[in-house]
Amino acid sequence: MQAEGHPSACVSKRPLPVEFVATVAILTCTYALLAAGIVILYKAGRVVNFAHGELAIVGGYVFYSSGLMAGGSLWFAILGAVVFSVVMGGFIYATMMRRVVGEPFYVAILITVGIAIVLKSAIIVIWRAEQVTINIGVAPAVRLAGGATLSYMDLASIIMTITFFIALYFFFTFTRLGVQFRGTAENPLLASQRGVNVNLVLSLAWIIAVLAATLSGVFYGGRAFLSTESVTIGLAGLTAALVGGLDSLRGAVAGAFVVALAQYLTVRLIDPVLSEALPFLILLVVMSIRPWGLFGTVEELDRV
Amino acid sequence: MARAGTNLRTSYLESNEVMRRPYQKLLVGLILAAALVLPFGSSDYFLHLINLSFLACVGALGLMILTGFCGQISLGHAAFLAIGGFTTVILTVHLTMPFIVVVPAAAASGAVVGFVVGLPSLRFRGVYLAISTLAMHYAIIFLCTAYQAKFGSSATAGITIADPVLGPFRLGGEFAWYFFLLVLLTFVTAGCVNLVRTRPGRAWMAIRDRDIAAEALGINLTRYKLSAFMLSATLASVSGSLAAYYSHVVTVEAYTLDLAVIYVAMIIVGGMGSILGGLMGAIFITLLPYGIDSLFEYLPRAWRFGSTVFGVQVGAVGICIILFLLFEPKGLAEIWRRTETYFDRWPFRYRPLDTTRR
Repeated sequence: MQAEGHPSACVSKRPLPVEFVATVAILTCTYALLAAGIVILYKAGRVVNFAHGELAIVGGYVFYSSGLMAGGSLWFAILGAVVFSVVMGGFIYATMMRRVVGEPFYVAILITVGIAIVLKSAIIVIWRAEQVTINIGVAPAVRLAGGATLSYMDLASIIMTITFFIALYFFFTFTRLGVQFRGTAENPLLASQRGVNVNLVLSLAWIIAVLAATLSGVFYGGRAFLSTESVTIGLAGLTAALVGGLDSLRGAVAGAFVVALAQYLTVRLIDPVLSEALPFLILLVVMSIRPWGLFGTVEELDRV
Repeated sequence: MARAGTNLRTSYLESNEVMRRPYQKLLVGLILAAALVLPFGSSDYFLHLINLSFLACVGALGLMILTGFCGQISLGHAAFLAIGGFTTVILTVHLTMPFIVVVPAAAASGAVVGFVVGLPSLRFRGVYLAISTLAMHYAIIFLCTAYQAKFGSSATAGITIADPVLGPFRLGGEFAWYFFLLVLLTFVTAGCVNLVRTRPGRAWMAIRDRDIAAEALGINLTRYKLSAFMLSATLASVSGSLAAYYSHVVTVEAYTLDLAVIYVAMIIVGGMGSILGGLMGAIFITLLPYGIDSLFEYLPRAWRFGSTVFGVQVGAVGICIILFLLFEPKGLAEIWRRTETYFDRWPFRYRPLDTTRR
C-alpha cells in the first residue's frame, strides 16, 4: 500500500545510473531545504519545528493557487509564495514564539504541533483536501543518457537549492546581520546586551525557514501530489536534520543526501512499502547510535 | 482541631489531603450521585458521547501521569492506544479469549511496550525524547498496518469484534457501558489521585521539576521514568482495548499522529500536573468536535458543504493547544482553582496567603 502523495512517489522506475543520480539529487534538494529550515530554527531558538512539513505543503498550495488565480503566471505564483512565507514566518514568531521565551521547553514545540494541525485543517477547509500537482515548468528541459529527462522544475530545484545554501553561507559569514544571527544562536541574552536586535534576528530565522520550506513544497508539488497526506515530508526533513546534526547546516545537506539515497535504494531494490517507513527507521537508528548526528555538536544534546 | 484556613497548612498530613475544602466532599458526592442518575432518561446519543469522554479520560490520565507529573513529553500515545486495540483483536479473533482475560492482557502488553518506548528517556530529555517517541509511534503503527494488511478483511476496512461477555452479562449498548466505564473511571481516578500524592508521585514530580536534583535526593531515575512510561502506556492500552470493544472495530487508520496530538491537547487544555485537569481536558476535547458540529447546524446550508466541518473540527484542536499554551498555560484546572480561591475569600478581593502555585 503506497500513498500517492508520499515522498517515495518521487522515485520513478526508470533505468539506473543517470536516472539514479538525477533522482537522488532532486530528492536531496527537497529534503535539504526542509532540513535547513529545521536546523536554522533549532539554532536560533532551540525549537524543533514539528509543523515544517505542513508549512512546506501549504506553501506549495499557495504557490499553486496564486499561479492559478493569475492565469498560470509563474511570477505571480512566486510572488504569492514569497508573501506567504514572509507573512507566515513573521506571524508565527511575533504572535506565538516571542511570547513563550523562558517557558518550559515543551511549550514551544507543542505550539508548533498546534500550528501543524491548524495548517492541516487549512488544507481541508481552503483547498478542500484536493490532491494537486503543480504544472508549471514540467516540460522536459534536458534529455539525459538512457532516456531520462529533467524538467525545468527539476533544474530549477537543483539550481535554487544550491543558490540558497551559497546565499546562506555568505549571509552568515560576511554580513553584519548574519554575524548577529550567529551571536544570537550562541547566547541570546549576551547578544541582546551587545545591541543585537534579537526579535529581528529570530523573526528573520522564521521567515527564512518558512521560505525554504515553501520552496521545497513547490518542488515537491512539481513531482508528486500535494495533499494532506504529503505533510509527512516534514518527517523526512526532520530525519535529515537529525542525521546531519540538529545544529549543523552542513549536516542538513549531508542528512538529506543520506535520507534521499536510502529512500531511492529501498524503492528500487527492496520494497516501495518499506520506503514509507524508512524515515523513522533511520531516525531510530540515528537516535540509538549517534544522536548528535554526523556534524552536530555533542554538547548540544539534551542528554540525561 | 482548629484549621488555619484552606490555603495554610500546619502539618504534613494536612498538606497531603485530597479535599481540603469542606464543600469539596459534598461536591464530589453530588457529582457521583448525578452520574448515577444521569443515564436514566437521557438519549443514547448523549450517553454515547459521555462514554467516549470516559474512555478518553482513562487514556488522558495516563498521559497526564507521564507528561504532567513526570515531565516526559510523549507523542506516542496513539501508539499505546493502538497496542491496546490490536492486542484485543489478536486475542479475541485468533484465540477467542474472554473479555476478563483480554483487558488485563492488553494492560500487560501496554506495560511492556511502555517500557520499550520509555528506554530512550534514560538517554535523552526534552526535544530529543519527543522525537524518539515520534519515531516509536511510526514504528508501532507500521507493525499494526502490516498486521491489518495480513489479517484484516481489506487493507482499510479494519477488523470487527463482538460485544464482550462478562459472566452472565453481555456488555452491550450505551446504558450498560456507561455504568461499566463510570465504575472503571472512578477507580482509575482514585488510583491516580492517590498515586501522585504518595511516594511514586512525589518522585515523578521531583524528576519533572529538576531531574538532576531528584537524582541527588536519591530518586532512582531509571526506575521512576520507566514506571511512568509503563503506567501511562498501561492506562492508554486499557482505554484502547475498551474502545475497541465499545466501537466493535479496530482499524489502524484511527491511530494517527493526530490522535496522539489530540491527547496532548487534552492535558494542555486541562492543565499540566492536575488529575482534575486531565479529566476536564479529556471531556472538553472529546466533546469539542460534536459541539462544533452542532454549531454548524445553525449556519446556512452552503457552509456545511463538503469537508469544511471536518476541517474546522481538526483545526479547533490546534487552536485550543495554541491559545491555552499562550494565555492559560495551566489550563481549565487553573480556572477552576481561581474560582475556588475567589469564593474562599469572598466578599474580599485580596489574594489568599497561599503561594504554592502548581
